Formats: sequence, structure tokens, C-alpha cells
Amino acid sequence: MSIANYNPLRRVLFHDDFDQGINGWCELVGNHGGDLDRIRPAVADLRPPQLSSCTFFDIGTHGALDGTYSLKLATRKKAGHQAVAIKRLTSQARGLVQFETWFTFKAEQQFGEDLADWDGNQDPSEANFGDITFSNDICEPGGGPRYMFALRYRNADADGRLVQRWLYKTSLHTTTKMAVAGREIEHTDIHVRDPRDWVEVPGGHQPLCFNEVATKVNWHYLRWLYDTKARRNVELQVNDRTLNLRNIPVPFYPETYEGLPNLLNFLVDVRTVRDVRNFLFFDSIVVSVDW
Amino acid sequence: MLRRSFTAVLEKNAVFDGDFATEPYEVGWASEARFFVRVRELSEGARLLCRPQISPDGLFWCDEGAEGVSIAAPGLYSFAVREFGNWLRLDCPLDGRAKLLIYLALK
Repeated sequence: MSIANYNPLRRVLFHDDFDQGINGWCELVGNHGGDLDRIRPAVADLRPPQLSSCTFFDIGTHGALDGTYSLKLATRKKAGHQAVAIKRLTSQARGLVQFETWFTFKAEQQFGEDLADWDGNQDPSEANFGDITFSNDICEPGGGPRYMFALRYRNADADGRLVQRWLYKTSLHTTTKMAVAGREIEHTDIHVRDPRDWVEVPGGHQPLCFNEVATKVNWHYLRWLYDTKARRNVELQVNDRTLNLRNIPVPFYPETYEGLPNLLNFLVDVRTVRDVRNFLFFDSIVVSVDW
Repeated sequence: MLRRSFTAVLEKNAVFDGDFATEPYEVGWASEARFFVRVRELSEGARLLCRPQISPDGLFWCDEGAEGVSIAAPGLYSFAVREFGNWLRLDCPLDGRAKLLIYLALK
């Protein structure tokens, strides 16, 4: 696959084409110290990623933007369930980091839905897709600071009302260290203490191209730029929209973390808010830096 | 180019009190698959069957045809499957209670 459909910074850290394999994207799991019974429920079942051909019951194989395979995350059919993949690196310097991808999303096809109000355009399955989240995990040498940016696209709420907005988080992801110390245990959303701890990015309303049925996928371009020197977000571009993120507040961890110098992790996830499986697909992912 | 391989943990320390099936998993890129079932706990007198199922779409399932494994005690069990199409899962009738891990190793 060519990198021509990307706009990377001057040094490409990785260019993952999922026709070439899983490329280091693996399931996130909570810390356990060797005892699986110690994993907190919210981070115990974040599902293995899949190499998908985007195959559907009505048309067969859709394929990816390029080639056949994409990276797929799939939730269980349980409201609040989240599927999270992570890729783990370390950094050589601090500065600009740019995450780019071509992605698409779908809710699992349902049968026997009430079509009395169906207009032939807006599909019932669109209301069954919840959240997409892009995030990271950064820790500087010497025990910190540690912080995690997170941007969420909320497609629909638990009642099936379309929200279609970009959000940022206002509380910390619960680390195992926090949980062991008895602090701020999360509920069902790994990014925040409370699933309600999300606020709209200014100007963040952006309908994406769901395209009418549960089995048509349209690939979207996303470019997320952040600055690990200034410790803040910069901007998010999705297709024809670019959001200014420079003033988005970032929660920092008050405690120190050993064993994580220069941590630079990238995470992608999908979260269903209804009892329907939600799927998130990545044709490819490119991360580049200015250092 | 080396062959690709991937191991998915389909169930991780999960507890079941009756029949269950693993989540749909896409395997179209692979030509061989091997399931591992590690039963950590099994209630007294319980019996667990793990048999492979296949699907054209991840929605509708039929038996693959292999017997799979019949489990009556904690331990590690395994069997292989080939020519499975694009989707695999395990159908697991369970009479009792089990705590287990299920791995799917693909190549």
C-alpha cells in the first residue's frame, strides 16, 4: 500500500497496512500480577483484534480501502462493553506526534426491527452504534508526568438518539495503581471514572457517512495531531473538518509511575451503548513525528 | 515472506454456569486453526463440550463437523480445524459451572 493517501510529518514511526498482518495491535488488558482474578472487570474483557475482510451476509466480502484486510475491533452484544486495541512504543524525544488512519464503523445487522417509520434512507442500525475513541498513554522519564489524551466520537446514545459529536474526557483513566490504592474505580468505560465524564469539543458536531445500511462501509480519513513537548492536543481533522484542540484541558496523574520512561502507546476502541455488537475497522494507520 | 500467525484469547478467565458460544471471530486469512481450552475450575460432575462452528457471515452458524473435545476435569485441551471459511466460534454446551480460558491459534 502506498502512503500517498496520508499526510505524515517528516519522520514516519510506523505505517501499518493490515493486509500485511496485525502489526503489533493487540488486546489491552488490566494489570494482574500473575493472578487473572485480580483484573478489574472493566479491563478484563477488551477482546482480541481481528483481521477482517469486511464480509457481510448480503453482499459477501467488502474488502478494505486497499487490498482485502483491515484491523477490526468487535464488542460483545452488551451495553457498555468496550473493545480496545493498543500498540506500544517508546519515544526518543518530545514534540509533535501525528496519528492518521482510514477507518469505518458499523453496528451488527439486526433482523426483525420495527420498520414502520423507516424512510428507506436512515437505517435502524445507525442508532445502534455507540462510541469510537482514539487515545494514547504517555509517561515521561523520572516517573512522569503521565497523561492520556482521549477523543471520542459519540454516534448515538443508549436510547438510539443520534449525537454525532466529538468529545474529550474530563477525568482520569483508572490505573491499576489507583485501583489497588482504593481510588477512583471506573465503571464500564476504561477512559474515565464515570461514563458521563465527557464534554463536547467546541464545534464538535460532525455527522459521519454511515451510508444507510449495516453492510456498506465508507472509509473516513482521520488525522490527530498532538504535542508531547507542550503536553497538549493540537488539532483533529476528519475529512473536511478540522477541530482546534489546543485549549482542551488534559487530566494529569498526580502520582509517579515507575517502569514507564518514554512510554508512547496508541489506543483505538469501540464501545457499544446498546445490546448490539459494534464494529470498528482500520484499513491502515500511520504515525509520524517531527523529531 | 514468513507465514503470519495470530493467537486470540477468546475467553479470559471467564465463568459460565451453562451453555455458551464464543464471540464470532474472522479467520478468512488463515488456513489452519487450533483451539486451546484451559479449564481452571469445573464444578463437581460437570461436563463441558467444545465443538467448532462455522458461518458465512458471522450471524448464522452451523456445526463444522469435528467432534471437538469433551471435558470432565480441569486441564488443557486442544483440537485443530481446517477449511473453515471466514468465521469460527466454539459452541459449548455446559452442564455445570466452569472457569476457563479459550485460545484460538491461527496460521
